[in-house]
Amino acid sequence: MNNTTAKKPVKIKTVNRTAPKKRRRSVGLDKKKARSGWIFVAPFVIGLLIIYIPIIVNSILYSFGEIKVLTGGGFKLTMVGFKNYNEALAGNPDFVRTLVSGIKELLLDIPAIVIFSLFMAVLLNQKMWGRAVFRAIFFVPVILCTGLIGQIDSTNVLTSYMSDTTSSIDTGAGTDAVTQVVSATDIQWMFNSMKVGTGITQYVVKLMNGIYDIINRSGVQMLIFLAGLQSISPAIYESCDIDGASAWEAFWKITIPMVSPMILVNAIYTIIDALTSSSNSVMMFISNIYSGTNGHELSAAMSWVYFLIVIVIIAAVAGLLSLFVFYQRRD
Amino acid sequence: MNIQETNAPKVKKETKNKIRVEFDRTSFWKRFRLKYISWNFLGTVIWKIARFLLLLGISYVILMPFFTKISSSFMSADDFVDATVKLIPKYPTLATYKAIIRDNGYWTALINSTILSLMCAVIQTLICAMIGYGFAKFKFKGNKILFAFVILTMIVPHRTVQFSMFMQFSFFDIGNLLKIFTGKGIIEMITGSSVKLINTFWPLALLSLTGLGFKNGLFIFMMRQYFRGVPDELEESAYLDGYGVVKTFVKIIIPLSVPMMITVFLFAFSWQWTDNFYTTIFFTTMGPKLLPTIVKIPSSLDTSVASNMFNAAVNNASAMLIIAPLIIIYLFCQRYLIQGIERSGIVG
Repeated sequence: MNNTTAKKPVKIKTVNRTAPKKRRRSVGLDKKKARSGWIFVAPFVIGLLIIYIPIIVNSILYSFGEIKVLTGGGFKLTMVGFKNYNEALAGNPDFVRTLVSGIKELLLDIPAIVIFSLFMAVLLNQKMWGRAVFRAIFFVPVILCTGLIGQIDSTNVLTSYMSDTTSSIDTGAGTDAVTQVVSATDIQWMFNSMKVGTGITQYVVKLMNGIYDIINRSGVQMLIFLAGLQSISPAIYESCDIDGASAWEAFWKITIPMVSPMILVNAIYTIIDALTSSSNSVMMFISNIYSGTNGHELSAAMSWVYFLIVIVIIAAVAGLLSLFVFYQRRD
Repeated sequence: MNIQETNAPKVKKETKNKIRVEFDRTSFWKRFRLKYISWNFLGTVIWKIARFLLLLGISYVILMPFFTKISSSFMSADDFVDATVKLIPKYPTLATYKAIIRDNGYWTALINSTILSLMCAVIQTLICAMIGYGFAKFKFKGNKILFAFVILTMIVPHRTVQFSMFMQFSFFDIGNLLKIFTGKGIIEMITGSSVKLINTFWPLALLSLTGLGFKNGLFIFMMRQYFRGVPDELEESAYLDGYGVVKTFVKIIIPLSVPMMITVFLFAFSWQWTDNFYTTIFFTTMGPKLLPTIVKIPSSLDTSVASNMFNAAVNNASAMLIIAPLIIIYLFCQRYLIQGIERSGIVG
């Protein structure tokens, strides 16, 4: 039983691979087919050459230059070397501080988002009453709370006022302290008995209070995890059940390894999404600089510093996680 | 031995195609006890209730902002002064909606945004499907390097390059790489000046056409993973029937990938719909009115009473006006959203 079920997914995968096909077909036809792939990616190649690379190159040039707007429209760019970078890193007192605190904050959010979305995907994948309704509700933020609406939400003073039911009617003034989902003291009380230190306590309190934010940002990740969970063959769980494993063990021994490629993808997606979203503090700082005097060059320099840090973080996380990723088909 | 024989089910043949089995059933109470009065069952029930409550709670957290948006958009100035009013307005009014629709030019903005979002979403869906198919099924040289560029377009935030993007489209030219060295692009050489595309739909159309629009890297990735799961035999049989590569894509692959394309379409449409980054870069106040421009205090509405909350309520009302069409689309498409992604079998 165990043997046959373990083999089954491997069989499915081999159907998709191109390896057996080569035996049947001559090499020339294969090559011809491969070359016609350029037809399909042509739009991207053209866009890359005509639009994207010039944008990137220009942006790098701007970050090394100084722009003088000419009176007749148009502009003149003079090269000034590393002046903008110097100003960003040494001249501007707030940039480095914002950068460090912003990145620290985001790095703490990322595991929370990945774990939350995995947990939710596992829950939504189970058979239960009202599953379709819950699924529909959970993906509402992906569609409706982006961009403009997210901006309106974040400045909405009424949300805290209305969900605040505990404040006395006499004053009527909405206070945000009471709107927190869990009060800090509750969690402190819980964690104090576990003796784990205040750092973790504060982290958890912050996560609980920012739960709406985390839900909002984990929609796509949930979809990707759901897709991954769907692709696990039920036969594996069945054989696991027959061998006497509990649901808990099955989760750690089957689900986690099988979705580990998705964990990698999601971690990277979350980093990209969080570090490049317009709502994070570094991006807001940069866009403030952008609208200031001489802001175009300075903000370009700052963005490239930021981008380099993002690349390093992505590479580090990808490298670290790929050590633990389990790929089912490796023949 | 004897007992076993009496307990064993007896099979009687009634007619040619029908059998009847007689056996001693365990009594109802015994079955009931074994099934329902056990720790195992109790655990299952507790888990089910806890799971339901958890999902309900999170659904509440997700939907609460919408409730506040809806209710506050109907509130009048009296409601904000009255301290007993929390969630349900006592003096409901449509004045906020009416003022926004009348003063802020909602209908023009709606039509313009619909055209823009539909155009972008349709183009992006088709183009990303095409590019994704190219990456998934053809092992041409440079496939992997090119795909790395797709990932790169995802990683470099467009906000980073917003100024040069603005410059690119206000002085649009085909040979911009050439321009860095010669000072003149191809269009400038022919017609004498570069083309100004700001305040038109062209910048977003061009970005969509080349798979460089907002989050198009993600769409290409999703499409690529989806097409990887499509068996090669399908295409082979199409080739045998005399179809070319392009015809196979149009006639076989596209109909097959409708759920996934609806997912991508839904993302592209709604993200373009609520976008305020590209609209602020590519459209100045001189340009066509789009939905983000309606978020402001209408001139005929007096918000001096409880102005802080009233302004928020006006913003909420405009947000409701903006997302109302999206909600309708979502209600129809959410089924496909999950279906499409489930069938994709994304594997990293």
